[in-house]
Amino acid sequence: MGDAPTPVMFAIVTTNKEAVYGGMSPIFVAQDELERDRIAMWLTRITNCIAHDLHNGTIILTVNQAGGA
Amino acid sequence: MSPSGPIDWSPMIVGFIAGFVSRIVSIKSGRSHYPGYPSGYISQVALAIIAAIIGSSIIVSLVSKQFTAATFLTLAATQFRDVRATERTTLEKEEGLILVSRGAGYIEGIAITYEARNYLAMLIALATSVGVEYLGVIIGGIIGIVTIVIGEIYMAGPHMGDVVEVEPAKIRFEKGSLLYVGDVMMMEVGLPHSRERYEQEGIGVIITPKGPRGQSALWNVSQRQAISHEVASAVGAQKDVGYPEQTPLCRMDMPKGSGRAALSILPVQHDVQAVIRAIKKTPMLESGKWSPIRSPILNRKELD
Repeated sequence: MGDAPTPVMFAIVTTNKEAVYGGMSPIFVAQDELERDRIAMWLTRITNCIAHDLHNGTIILTVNQAGGA
Repeated sequence: MSPSGPIDWSPMIVGFIAGFVSRIVSIKSGRSHYPGYPSGYISQVALAIIAAIIGSSIIVSLVSKQFTAATFLTLAATQFRDVRATERTTLEKEEGLILVSRGAGYIEGIAITYEARNYLAMLIALATSVGVEYLGVIIGGIIGIVTIVIGEIYMAGPHMGDVVEVEPAKIRFEKGSLLYVGDVMMMEVGLPHSRERYEQEGIGVIITPKGPRGQSALWNVSQRQAISHEVASAVGAQKDVGYPEQTPLCRMDMPKGSGRAALSILPVQHDVQAVIRAIKKTPMLESGKWSPIRSPILNRKELD
């Protein structure tokens, strides 16, 4: 586990469309926080990625974080 | 070349028994130790028999001037290098199949130990048979027992419990989503559902080093992965593919760098004492034993 894998941003889920801009990952726009959390959880379970809350209405999903295999 | 008289078998027999016993007493079973099943035992026992025979027959063949035989026995001894590679390959293959991996350092440690165990059996057999050959069966037998005991003491190796203190701590969330164990930040949990589970069922412990040795072991990331693996195999981890944020984590108290570590786990069996026992029984890895004297961060006064 010595070689920490580089995290790759896989997707962005947000309720605040103005807070995110472009980039390499798909952006999912949710109506409210409940829907945002639901989308984030689904994507996590499907793709084995990790959800991180940025506390500005945006959740990012990254892969290969926190030693998860 | 024929032996000058009838062969005295007693050095070989006593030496074989001593070497074999030294290997057998060290075969461990358990959730995290390999071999854990009958076929594993059989291969280890077979290797033990071969090692003990090699060790005990060298002196007999030398005494009876069978130098060809002695040369072949030393050649056979080198075959035991493969034991380490085999162990490593097996465990590395397994790594992708278990949810909480052992980590490369732990695997190497296990592999080295198994190789060394076989060589130790060989050396004990050799020492005992030399003793029997020149000092008689009784003194040789005593030498065998003494070398087995010494070998066991030296091979046991230190455990984490020797160098760290472990105490339970509360799991809480700060700033909405940062998982803390006591005052050590572990990770960011984005999903409300996972946060709920951690708050309801999570177990957290703080690992405090007793001194620089414990701290140097904790800074080693392989060592902490080994701790996570041992804890997960002791109490189970509520984790499956697709739930990466429920992985048991062992992290240092990082922005502060105080040398303490914390562990968070969502256990299947909610038993804090079992977690603490598992951490204390985790072996200290070879790769974690670097000299702590010269590193300035390990020379902090508050740790002594």
